[in-house]
Amino acid sequence: MNSKTQDSDSASLKKQAESVHRFAEREGEYYSQQFEKIQSKNGLSFSFNPHAALLGPLWASARNVWGFFWMSSIAILFALVQLGRGLWGELGADELARAERLSNKSQEMATKAQTALDSGSANADALLRNADNLQRAAEKSLNAADLAAGGANQLILWGALSLVVIVLLQGLMANLVYEKKYCRWRGGNSETGGFSPMNLLLGVVMMAVMFPLTMYRFTVARPVEWLTEFPANKAIFSGAANWLDAGFDSVALKGAGFFDGITSGIRVLLDGLEVILVDTPWPVTAMVILVMAWRLAGPRVAIFTLAALSYLAFLGYWEKSMTTVALLGTAATLCVVIGVPLGILCAKSRTAYAIAHPILDFMQTMPAFVYLIPIIAFFGTGKPPGILATLIFGMPPVVRLTALGIKQVPDTIVEAAMAFGCTRRKLLLDVEIPLAMPSIMTGVNQTILMCLSMVVIASLIGAEGLGTDVLQALQFAAKGQGLLAGLAILCCAMIIDRIVQGRFKNAN
Amino acid sequence: MSDDVIQLEGVWKIFGEQSDEAMKAVVEEGLDKAAVLERFGCVVGIANVSFTVARGEIFCIMGLSGSGKSTLIRHLNRLIEPTAGSIKVLDRDMSALSHNDLRDVRAKHIGMVFQHMALLPHRTVLDNVAFPLEVQGVPKFKRWEISQHALELVNLVGYEDRRPNELSGGMQQRVGLARALASDPEVLLMDEPFSALDPLIRRELQNQFVSLTKKLQKTTVFITHDLDEAIRIGDRIAIMKDGHLIQVGTPEQIVRHPADDYVAEFVKDISNLKLICAHTIMQDMNSDTVPAGVNLANAPRADENTNLEHLIDIAITSELPVIITDAAGADIGIISKDTLLQGIKGDE
Repeated sequence: MNSKTQDSDSASLKKQAESVHRFAEREGEYYSQQFEKIQSKNGLSFSFNPHAALLGPLWASARNVWGFFWMSSIAILFALVQLGRGLWGELGADELARAERLSNKSQEMATKAQTALDSGSANADALLRNADNLQRAAEKSLNAADLAAGGANQLILWGALSLVVIVLLQGLMANLVYEKKYCRWRGGNSETGGFSPMNLLLGVVMMAVMFPLTMYRFTVARPVEWLTEFPANKAIFSGAANWLDAGFDSVALKGAGFFDGITSGIRVLLDGLEVILVDTPWPVTAMVILVMAWRLAGPRVAIFTLAALSYLAFLGYWEKSMTTVALLGTAATLCVVIGVPLGILCAKSRTAYAIAHPILDFMQTMPAFVYLIPIIAFFGTGKPPGILATLIFGMPPVVRLTALGIKQVPDTIVEAAMAFGCTRRKLLLDVEIPLAMPSIMTGVNQTILMCLSMVVIASLIGAEGLGTDVLQALQFAAKGQGLLAGLAILCCAMIIDRIVQGRFKNAN
Repeated sequence: MSDDVIQLEGVWKIFGEQSDEAMKAVVEEGLDKAAVLERFGCVVGIANVSFTVARGEIFCIMGLSGSGKSTLIRHLNRLIEPTAGSIKVLDRDMSALSHNDLRDVRAKHIGMVFQHMALLPHRTVLDNVAFPLEVQGVPKFKRWEISQHALELVNLVGYEDRRPNELSGGMQQRVGLARALASDPEVLLMDEPFSALDPLIRRELQNQFVSLTKKLQKTTVFITHDLDEAIRIGDRIAIMKDGHLIQVGTPEQIVRHPADDYVAEFVKDISNLKLICAHTIMQDMNSDTVPAGVNLANAPRADENTNLEHLIDIAITSELPVIITDAAGADIGIISKDTLLQGIKGDE
């Protein structure tokens, strides 16, 4: 039985070796031995690769180990820069220049003093003292320059030492790194093994660009200008900016009717909400909000809501808060009304998702101040443009999370519904949307909170409310006012968030 | 209307972008599975499958995972479209149906039960069962009444207003069965319905299922990877491998005459006791296994379709051999203890 296991052992060893041969292509024998050594021990094992030690980045590029290539290239470059500075770098060049300048000035002073002395002027003494001081400073700089030049040997030593350490490390690490790559290569098609002259050439080219230029930049006192500064073209920039300006202007002019239509549409919704929240007597509004919090989210949320509403009311933020909530409510409603169908579309159609994905990224990443400018150009200032800016920032989460929720509906359930003769419409309304509801609600929640965070920025273009208070506080450095208004915004956000979340938790 | 409820003729399914070209090459050049994969990058799911299922029959399709059995059953209600071949269910050519007609057939005539239940978690048990009726546009009151009846059939009265996740796996699958039965379809498709359940529950549900379908006279296609289950449930069994049907026959035919080594390997461990009937091993009335002079007047009697397990119970009640009778009650054969033992051992 022993001989049998030995047979199978040697067979499997042979198979392993063959696989390493296929992976390495050249010097398979060497690598299969080294890998066996590494693999037969847990933890670190000692395996030195002389090729990698001496050739470093070249070995790595030929073997397609690019991580290794960059690490060792940068390390070697660092060591070489130290060596270069030590060997031919003008160390203390700037100090030397200073010393020269100072001693020139001192000479000048001395001549001036001499003439003053000759003419018997009263300030000759002071001039002479000045010249003396300057001379001393020059000497100091000279000393510093000498000291820096004396550091050259130290730099050379340091550079050489690093180079030796790098070579040793390269030799020691190479096989370990290569073995890791081999394991990944075995597991899938994502890694390419083998020895590639093309990659070697690529490595050589990259090193030929990197090494000389970098060395030159760091070892020469005053390198040519085009190396330290990118040769930018001012004409291209101003041309592009002007072109965009003209584009915006003409679109704003031509599409005036369209933009006005959007503005008035938003205004209708906003006015409706403002009538409900702002114009209704405050006891009625407060009571409705409180009862809603209690019925939808329970007594604890109701108590919190009472406290938050009292804060808003007693500090005189009531009307502004309600204006803000109306603003936010309009933005959030539009986000949901547009975002949920868009999310469903993205879940159903690959093309729609491919188009929407970069746009959503853009909407979320682009700083709000940037799109405020075109919004002012197209829609003017006031509340509707403020809502539009909020819309841009707040819509992505609800689109994304709706798409995610619909996609996550188990295929088995969709299949079962189809097997019972479900229509697409019924599938969407009675199966997919209910199952995606947790995800959609998370999206709605995110959207509400993100809309609120835009309140201050929207107030920049005239969307009045609590944001205006914060903005004023910022302009006049009124710390107290700013903090109180900020807390009021927080209260609004928390009330809405807690009620919506509580409602959803209760529903489940 | 013919008596064959389900008729499949030369059905192929090839997955992949070039499935049509691959199908053509298969027909013209007779490529095999590996060659299709290599030349077209297409996977052959179902290869030239033909069978029929008679009214009221339980037809089991047995195969290991990847053999194409789940793909095959999805062709019967066209959840998957065939690449070639004809599929007729209840004399309707499934491939020719319009979308509306297809939905109608699915809703009214074909019920399906899934391995992972696939119940709607946000609906009550009753509303889950009522789902196929809801799709058909049956008013709420009426569909609740029918669903209530379906729940009675599967012994789930009292759980109507629970959510599926409050129920155990076995109960959930009974909800799945009730849902499939709710619109009273002629055809039931069972896609490994009991595979995810533990053995005791599985046995119970299998028995319940057989008696229910026999009572309701449903034509059933039943998918399983478990030969024991196939033998216990199926009137006929089809063994599937790599998209082909290797053998179709009654459980006894499959166990006693496996078509090839693959099937033989499967049936190796299957006990003969339940499969083999008295008429298979009985001997002539006047055979020499019975010693002369024994009076057979008091010998126990058994029907010719009694299985071996039952026959043992009968044989141990008496010293005498068992006399086998036909349906009319006439004596047609005799089984001595020796014959019985030989029959249990299985080699003739």
